Amino acid sequence: MNYINSILVLAGIYLVLSSSFDLIIGYGGLISIAHPIFYAIGAYTAGLLAIVWHVPAIPAILSGGVLAAVASVAMSLPAIRVAGDYLLIASIGFQLGLLQIIKNVEFTGGDAGLSDIPPAITGPSRAALFAAISLSLGVLVVLLIRWIVRGPYGAIITAMRDDELALLALGRNVTRIKVVILAVGSGLAGLAGGIYAFYYQYLSPSQFDVLQSAAILTMVVIGGMGTALGPVIGTFLLLGLPQAITFLQLPPSVMAPFQGILFCVLVLLFILVRPQGIIAARRPHT
Amino acid sequence: MTEVIRLEGVHKRFGGIVVAENINLAIGQGDILGLIGPNGAGKTSLFNLISGVVSLDAGSIFLAGQRIDSMPLYRRARAGISRTWQHMRLFHTMTAMENLSVAPRVYGGESLLKVLLSPGAMRREQAALQERGRAILRRLGLADMADKLVSELPFGQQKLIGFARALMHGGECLLLDEPMAGVEGHAYETMQSVVREEAADGRAVCVVEHNISFIKDLCTSAVFMANGRIIQAGTVDELLASSVLAELYFGV
Repeated sequence: MNYINSILVLAGIYLVLSSSFDLIIGYGGLISIAHPIFYAIGAYTAGLLAIVWHVPAIPAILSGGVLAAVASVAMSLPAIRVAGDYLLIASIGFQLGLLQIIKNVEFTGGDAGLSDIPPAITGPSRAALFAAISLSLGVLVVLLIRWIVRGPYGAIITAMRDDELALLALGRNVTRIKVVILAVGSGLAGLAGGIYAFYYQYLSPSQFDVLQSAAILTMVVIGGMGTALGPVIGTFLLLGLPQAITFLQLPPSVMAPFQGILFCVLVLLFILVRPQGIIAARRPHT
Repeated sequence: MTEVIRLEGVHKRFGGIVVAENINLAIGQGDILGLIGPNGAGKTSLFNLISGVVSLDAGSIFLAGQRIDSMPLYRRARAGISRTWQHMRLFHTMTAMENLSVAPRVYGGESLLKVLLSPGAMRREQAALQERGRAILRRLGLADMADKLVSELPFGQQKLIGFARALMHGGECLLLDEPMAGVEGHAYETMQSVVREEAADGRAVCVVEHNISFIKDLCTSAVFMANGRIIQAGTVDELLASSVLAELYFGV
């Protein structure tokens, strides 16, 4: 039962990660690979606040979200002011650079990771409660993003993706819109990090490396970019697939590379056969 | 005449090409100024300089007495510069109505905080915008097009949606870049009457158009440009009678 709960906690976390990344890349058209580092900022902030200052879980998780959002502004504002294309370069630097810092400073636990994060919830139903909290947050984030993109703010996000210059000439501050999208998406990733920290009580820098970025992107691409339901389907598919292939009873040394190959084949297949993903966007970006 | 927009000594060069050379121009409330000249004369470049798509090398631009030439594009739009584009630049994945709904100078929906914290006020604003947008579309005979994707509309109607979007923006200075290209039939008269109404409403209108009869029917004054310079200014009839214009424009 704990195993299933553990999968459900992860499902909630990845629902938040993939939906918030879809807001950035799918709806906003902003190409960044730094989503895992904002997830890490949230996780480490929550973990450290709890360990060092004994901050309770909820304010610690919220602080992680806020710090991730603020950090995203520091990354995106200079890059977007120069030109949109620099965002990708800035995000690569931010992702790799910050992860190196996390690996090399003492207070984050360095390469060995950060352990002894308090459990936040104790007792026999801990895993079930975490699963409920994580999934609820996941569903809330999916609904929040759906609500945003279908409203007046979503209209300017779509207009910005269609023709940035025309939108500027109507008086919309496109730089601010982009920075806000990134801050909201990154802040939500930070919240997911906080849940992760308190559930697993241990953080390792390798959990937040660039491969995470590939996994989250795969969820969004396969599910359907720029759709509310796409990342949900992508998340469950990509989390379910490794569980499904355990029935093949492959040795662990084969299992990990096999999973990687399977993800690769899936992405290639979708790009070739169904680039819009399982759920096609109502407003495909061309 | 209350002056709306004034250009003083505006100069712009791209490498070796001068697109604006010492341009001095003023348009007042109710004026409809026609900007004519051969291709490459610098007409669209002048619109880009006024609206802030490109920055000036020298000179100044005033909107209702306020200097705007150092403002970025979006702030000039908020200050009151509305424009259309030669190649329309519509939001192609959106409907006609949606194109209009994101266009007003003041748009509460631009603040995510407001959207999240005061959904009631947002709903009211959106309802008011829908009503205003539909009224504009009705004026242009496009009421039935409101909910159609703009990319699915014929070229002439897309052109009119671009014009409708500029009207929805509602700036005091309206720059129309070749509004009649591809527009045929009764839309011609509709366009003329709506531009006249907008001018009568106190806007300063500037029209770049190759359709000389449109300029002749509509404009209160005109400027003839060539090679980034104003060659002649006056009434449309004066300009059309000019031998310089005939030589440079029509090659006769």
